Amino acid sequence: MKMKRLKAVKSALWLLVGAAFAIAVFRFWRGLGPTTALTDLTPWGFWIGFDVMGGVALAAGGFCIAATVYVFHLERYRPILRPAVLTAFLGYAAVVVGLMFDLGLPWSIWHMVVFWNPRSPLFEVGWCVMLYLSVLLMEFLPVVLEMSKHPILSRIYELLHKFTVPLVILGIMLSTLHQSSLGSLFLIMPHRLDPLWYTPILPILFFISAVALGLMMVTTESLFSSWLYEEEYELDLLQGLGKVAAGVLWFYLAVRLSDLAYRGNLAHALDGGFGPTLFIFEILVSVIVPATLLTIPATRKKMTTLATAAGFTVFGFVFHRINVGGLAMIETTGTRYSPSWTELTVSFGIVALAALVFFWVAERFHLMHGGPMMKGRENLPDIATFRPRLIRGAVMFVTGAAVATALLPASALDGWAVVPQHVHRPGYGDIMILDGNRNDKGVKFDHKMHIDVAEGNDKCAFCHHMVKPGARATGCSECHKDEHLATSIFDHRLHQELLAQGTGCLTCHADTTKPKDLEHSRPCLDCHESMIPAGAAFKPRESPNIGLAPGYMDAMHGLCERCHREQDGGSSTDAPTLARCSTCHSGVVKPFNPLHPDQRLPQPANAEDKAE
Amino acid sequence: MKAILTDVTKCIGCERCVQSCRIANDLGTVLPFRWLLDDGLSAVRWCSVLRKDGKFVRKQCMHCVQPACVGICPVGALQKTAEGPVIYDSGKCLGCRYCMMSCPFGIPRYDWESAVPFVRKCQMCYQGRVSKGVQPGCTAGCPVQATIFGERDLLLAEAKKRIADNPDRYLPTVFGESEVGGTCVLYLAPMQLDILTLGNKLDERPMPSRTATAMSAVPPVFVGMGAVMTGIYWIIERRMRLERDKAAANGTPPKAGHAPSGHGHNSSDGKEG
Repeated sequence: MKMKRLKAVKSALWLLVGAAFAIAVFRFWRGLGPTTALTDLTPWGFWIGFDVMGGVALAAGGFCIAATVYVFHLERYRPILRPAVLTAFLGYAAVVVGLMFDLGLPWSIWHMVVFWNPRSPLFEVGWCVMLYLSVLLMEFLPVVLEMSKHPILSRIYELLHKFTVPLVILGIMLSTLHQSSLGSLFLIMPHRLDPLWYTPILPILFFISAVALGLMMVTTESLFSSWLYEEEYELDLLQGLGKVAAGVLWFYLAVRLSDLAYRGNLAHALDGGFGPTLFIFEILVSVIVPATLLTIPATRKKMTTLATAAGFTVFGFVFHRINVGGLAMIETTGTRYSPSWTELTVSFGIVALAALVFFWVAERFHLMHGGPMMKGRENLPDIATFRPRLIRGAVMFVTGAAVATALLPASALDGWAVVPQHVHRPGYGDIMILDGNRNDKGVKFDHKMHIDVAEGNDKCAFCHHMVKPGARATGCSECHKDEHLATSIFDHRLHQELLAQGTGCLTCHADTTKPKDLEHSRPCLDCHESMIPAGAAFKPRESPNIGLAPGYMDAMHGLCERCHREQDGGSSTDAPTLARCSTCHSGVVKPFNPLHPDQRLPQPANAEDKAE
Repeated sequence: MKAILTDVTKCIGCERCVQSCRIANDLGTVLPFRWLLDDGLSAVRWCSVLRKDGKFVRKQCMHCVQPACVGICPVGALQKTAEGPVIYDSGKCLGCRYCMMSCPFGIPRYDWESAVPFVRKCQMCYQGRVSKGVQPGCTAGCPVQATIFGERDLLLAEAKKRIADNPDRYLPTVFGESEVGGTCVLYLAPMQLDILTLGNKLDERPMPSRTATAMSAVPPVFVGMGAVMTGIYWIIERRMRLERDKAAANGTPPKAGHAPSGHGHNSSDGKEG
């Protein structure tokens, strides 16, 4: 059956679009935190690195081919002009959609039009995207309008056609700025970016690589659509582009390496380690392999090797954009960010949607290969042929959405909802059983004692605050987290108040020329010698400054237990209750179950047991 | 220009500044979210006390003299005030987080858990206090005057005096005097304060100057590219027209491979396809 490839590819694309759509709903509902892997240290992730940086780079084919055909008058490239312009338009549209996901306040994007900061590279990038997207729309609109017989649409078509050349030149001007400005964005990040990528000429490198990438993207697209629609490969045309791309690639390599050499960073590339490895891989994939294949005429004119070269260049330079946009910052910032599957799915979903639009246009309009790819579809859709396609697409979309929703983490589905803390009052005193850490382990909790110990006006809020998503109160471990650590028991404020009269500070900080820290202060034992009773089992180290007490765990697993045993003459059977491990670690006391709090205590043997 | 001077050797690590900041700015309390850093700063904690070599180093926005964030914010949501503080206007922000990427000290934080998130950072209590001539919460709250508020020039002089009086106690430089072109938060310390910066080592060049060169090239590149492209188009178009005219005069058809005009609708578009 014909078009089997097309059906399979389209189904996969609809699946991705559906999944991305489901994630999008939760992204806007629950915010960026629960649905992405972004952090304060890595506020830009895959959506910037791939969608924005990669999308713009992939769209470079549009201005390259438009310049070739209209400015340089190389008419034989006209057959690939329209797909190149459409790809550019869709690429930029994908950038805008991707940006909508990434921006914290996407509904405020119009602020860029009203509030100006012309010093900002991002301001320029934003304006270029807006303007170039409009220019691309006007460049491409004739393809759609030429099919129409409506007089007004025909008039618009003629008008746009008249201004083709000025529009194309404006498009080239905007692209030049925009492609390079994406590099300028990162000039403000010398602290983040690895020196193998950071250079003041980053914008120039971005522009040169965009030309090579644009040519190779057009090549990839032409080869792929020929494969998909089972048409002849346009090898003769494409090898001409390859020849130019080879030159651009070698030029790019020369500029990049000489810049590194000039700044004395070339040796760093051979250091090994993460950054240099990334660099060598990037250079191999983006330049050396494809440029070699494109330079040799035999491999340039063969479909498989040309496709390899094109694929390598496209992948290599998108990889370069991702490196600049984040990967080359991993080592310098020590971030642990890696894109979550939700981010990846949204990104690929946007690309999938762009591809579906591309196919839709290719099948209905005079885009490439001399006409609509689906004969008869330029008319209004016939419901009989339309329905099965619609159903297939819809089924894949819904499946994708359902799978994505099922896989989403709980935080993304529910947001950081307030989870009540389980408290049970055993019925005596001010003691309650409280599962403070929400790990199903209840402990006895003396509420009154905690009120007495806590200080300040907001002391209730210290535990009972409501600002933390996912929690109604501070977990016990928030305060008691250092119980396995030796604890500083020195209370400066107490000493300050007790010694406040006269030259109080000088009591400890005797030497005023020295810093007022532990090291340079009077040893604690000078005053507190009497605090250590004669014959104490635990003897503080012979350090002049005692600031540390054994942590809770040390106390329980060594020091205190030993003392209790000693008191009892070494017999563990007769040891006081506290010294028996089984008092706590018996297994009799069950884990706390908030639904049945009473079950935590040992249950009296019930009737059935007795009967047996 | 107002500034804050923090003397690391005087700090006792009581975190009263953190508490005062929380009260002065009406901030909440923080849970250990996945997206927070170890330095303790967050959308609801704009000041924290780091520990290094047994010393306490207070971290907050450095209020650079020429701030990276102010230079690159596409909508100017971040502004450097005449008094010194770098302030944020949430009404302009569109959430691009470029400021977070650009800050060499990694100061701005984000409301990640919110569906309507904003950038959050220390604003030196500009709105409620400094603009009214009152010192910020943190310096007011410090029980040992380890962190003090005043005119930047005077604080710099004071810092240099302390170094001169106690050369053994401090490194001979004031951190913030010239880092990234100078900051309005200054430090006196006995050790290097690398823990305050993010990533690669900084030099004294103000951050905005790094993008300024590229941005100043924008208008000439734009116009130049347009001129070059129009020129090339015009020259080739003219040459082809002359060739065509010559061919028409000689009565021979034009050279193959050259289309009649870039203006006209070309038949190879396949309109009849």
